[in-house]
Amino acid sequence: MTSPTNVALAAARSEAVAPSSLESSAITISALGKRYGTGPLVLEDITLSIDAGQFVCLLGASGCGKSTLLNIIAGLEKPTEGAVTVASGKAAVMFQDAALFPWLTAGRNVELALKLGGLARPKRKAAALELLDLVNLADAADRRPHELSGGMRQRVALARSLAQDRKVLLMDEPFAALDAITRDLLHEELERVWRQTGRTIVFVTHNVREAARLGERILLMSSRPGRIVNEWTITDTGSRRIESPEVARLGDEITDQLREEIRSNAA
Amino acid sequence: MPRDTHSDTAKRHDPRHDELRRLEEGLDSLQAVPETPRGAFRRTLDGVVPPILLLIALVTAWQVYILVAKPRPDLIPGPFDVFEALVSAWSNDRLQLAVVTSLERGGLGFLIAVAIGTPIGLLLAECRPIRRAVGPLLSGLQVLPSVAWVPAAIIWFGLTDATVYFVVLMGAVPSIANGLVSGVDQIPPQLRRVGTVLGASRVEMATLVVLPAALPGYFSGLKQGWAFAWRSLMAAEIIAMGGTIGFGLGSMLQQSRELADLSGVLATILVILFVGILVELVVFAPTERRLLRRRGLMAAGLR
Repeated sequence: MTSPTNVALAAARSEAVAPSSLESSAITISALGKRYGTGPLVLEDITLSIDAGQFVCLLGASGCGKSTLLNIIAGLEKPTEGAVTVASGKAAVMFQDAALFPWLTAGRNVELALKLGGLARPKRKAAALELLDLVNLADAADRRPHELSGGMRQRVALARSLAQDRKVLLMDEPFAALDAITRDLLHEELERVWRQTGRTIVFVTHNVREAARLGERILLMSSRPGRIVNEWTITDTGSRRIESPEVARLGDEITDQLREEIRSNAA
Repeated sequence: MPRDTHSDTAKRHDPRHDELRRLEEGLDSLQAVPETPRGAFRRTLDGVVPPILLLIALVTAWQVYILVAKPRPDLIPGPFDVFEALVSAWSNDRLQLAVVTSLERGGLGFLIAVAIGTPIGLLLAECRPIRRAVGPLLSGLQVLPSVAWVPAAIIWFGLTDATVYFVVLMGAVPSIANGLVSGVDQIPPQLRRVGTVLGASRVEMATLVVLPAALPGYFSGLKQGWAFAWRSLMAAEIIAMGGTIGFGLGSMLQQSRELADLSGVLATILVILFVGILVELVVFAPTERRLLRRRGLMAAGLR
């Protein structure tokens, strides 16, 4: 594999949330808070603006509320206070398990998304094949989910969420259950798809290296209540590999802070 | 539009992309789970040979017992006596009439039960308050032997086919409704979330996600419903005879008992048993196998 050499990872730290004009921001979150019933605050005062076409990684320890935040952006849960605006309307979502419909072939799974998106029947088959080809699975269109490997299923799920043709793609630890080799490959695949389609991506993960490998902007969340405590912006100069020293250096820096956050929760 | 940009870029040959593709293809072929289907002939052979061998063994043992112990033929008839009873019932057309009558009632009763039980099941599965109210009653009805309804049915409907159908319905409807409820309950919540995320309306969610996802549970409810329908039918036919009620297998059984014709009784029991097995083998088993195999829910040995 030809690897890009000397990727400049300018990790610019900024404590404050980058103010950006409303026109270019794909997702705007203002003073968002969330609690379940009378329980403790899960999310507290999250104010955030995500630019169109940006690849944002939302990083935090397990149970810090990052998935809740994603679900709120997706419209699956309601915030207790504050508001979320997705400029392009609804967002596409991809979960940790592929959650393909087991009674449909890979192709039909994608076609169902196209159908629910309102694409006319005669165009669906070709469109589904094209989307599967985008994740290099055109040959597997007639296979059923149980005949596919975990990585293949996750790629079908990616094709399905791209079939929704929405400008924003939310991903909830989509590669957490995969082996390292497959995950590495899917990082590359996802990055390629992102560059090709210009989607805005919000990628939730608890894997620091993964965030450093993929994100243009990394948001670190604290736990109980979940708040955005720091963020890193990486000047995008092309693809980088997870083994590269830049990713490792940034990863170490983030890890140190993440550990500090976790330590502060000790009684 | 992302779809258009894709086709443009696909034409350009990017060596890095080609490399990624080949890498992915290699990993896919290493990790994919290939289906190893056995031929239809082999499968049928595997399914048919063992039960037939068992049948031959049982009949042989029975005949050996008759030859060795020489029991009174009116108390323990031999296989040939039973076979003769079958042949004589066949030759005076009683057997055909009884099988056709019972199958017709069983089949029609089952279809009506499906038509009633399915909406009830859907309502129970999707509407919590109704479920809390009706659920225990329905489970109770499933346990209650539907023969218990025969006396009441005779008083209400007299000796008519309505009595038979009523008893069949009381047997089959609860099973079918409960099967659908448990089928819906077992749907992984993630599938519904995907439906929501993909923008399915209420109707689309029900028809494109919930019903297909609940199909395996629903199907086992149907299977049990048929079993209950068939049993209830036999019970009703044995107890309620005469009037305008036609001549079914249960009636034939009861008639043979009144004539103290044990060979006839055993012959009829065997026919009832075989009709049940036949319906299972011809109607339910292949459908269920296809349903489960398509979803990868079948153990490797059963493929």
